[in-house]
Amino acid sequence: MTTSVSKVYLLEMATGKAVEAELHDGVTEQQLEDWETKWFPVLFARQQQLVRTGVPLAGWSQSRQWSWRDKMARIECLLAYQTFCIVCECVTQGMIQIDMTKSARLDGQSGKPLVYIEYLEVAPWNRTELGQQAKFGGVGSILMRAAVEHSVNEEFHGRIGLHSLPQANDFYGNTCGMMDLGPDPDYENLRYFEMTPELARSFLDNGREP
Amino acid sequence: MAGKKTMTLNLTDAEMTVLEELSTKKDMSKTAVLRQALRLYQLVQMRAERGDKLFLESETTKEKAELMLL
Repeated sequence: MTTSVSKVYLLEMATGKAVEAELHDGVTEQQLEDWETKWFPVLFARQQQLVRTGVPLAGWSQSRQWSWRDKMARIECLLAYQTFCIVCECVTQGMIQIDMTKSARLDGQSGKPLVYIEYLEVAPWNRTELGQQAKFGGVGSILMRAAVEHSVNEEFHGRIGLHSLPQANDFYGNTCGMMDLGPDPDYENLRYFEMTPELARSFLDNGREP
Repeated sequence: MAGKKTMTLNLTDAEMTVLEELSTKKDMSKTAVLRQALRLYQLVQMRAERGDKLFLESETTKEKAELMLL
């Protein structure tokens, strides 16, 4: 599999400095190995810590049961799906999988194609669970930016949509500026968010990168 | 993004009319509409080969009709 690579910058939270990273259009076996050998041990250790400290299940990472290997096998060779990842210090820092067969729901956009974000996950050390400081900031925002730019490139005019896990509602609604269409009874009552072409332009113009 | 190749496409008037209508309705170029159609066709074909069936459901009556794929 051939992937193209572009330069991006992450914010190293401990030093406040911008560090160079790579945005790859594609998730390869290397990312799946990172997920298994680098993400998993940290996720497992965090879960042990959550158990020890008596944090209720609702406070746990809601993406903990995701299997990226299964998710990638499901879309193999299909044109309808696309993936991106960010690599920094030779380690995968975040991954996103998008679906290009869905349509917008917002008034005025209804029926027009959008990029639907199936899954977006950042490496566990880049999250602030349990009050821990993230190693790198900006991973989620850059992956969102990649999705919006892909929507523009596919002539979807920047439209994107997603169902958000409760822990991520604030990120999609406030950080990314997406419209909140409320809980979707057909999708486990997860809140559905959508970005119009106007919001996408604003996001791309104001998108935060260190 | 992967490099792109160019091809000539021969369509009847009726087919071109439909393509133009879809292009307007979806706010996309004709090329983008055809690329989207290819994505959907491949996805449906893969699911059909796996033994899945494709149904269309009426939003008002909830009546379902199976779409036969050849």
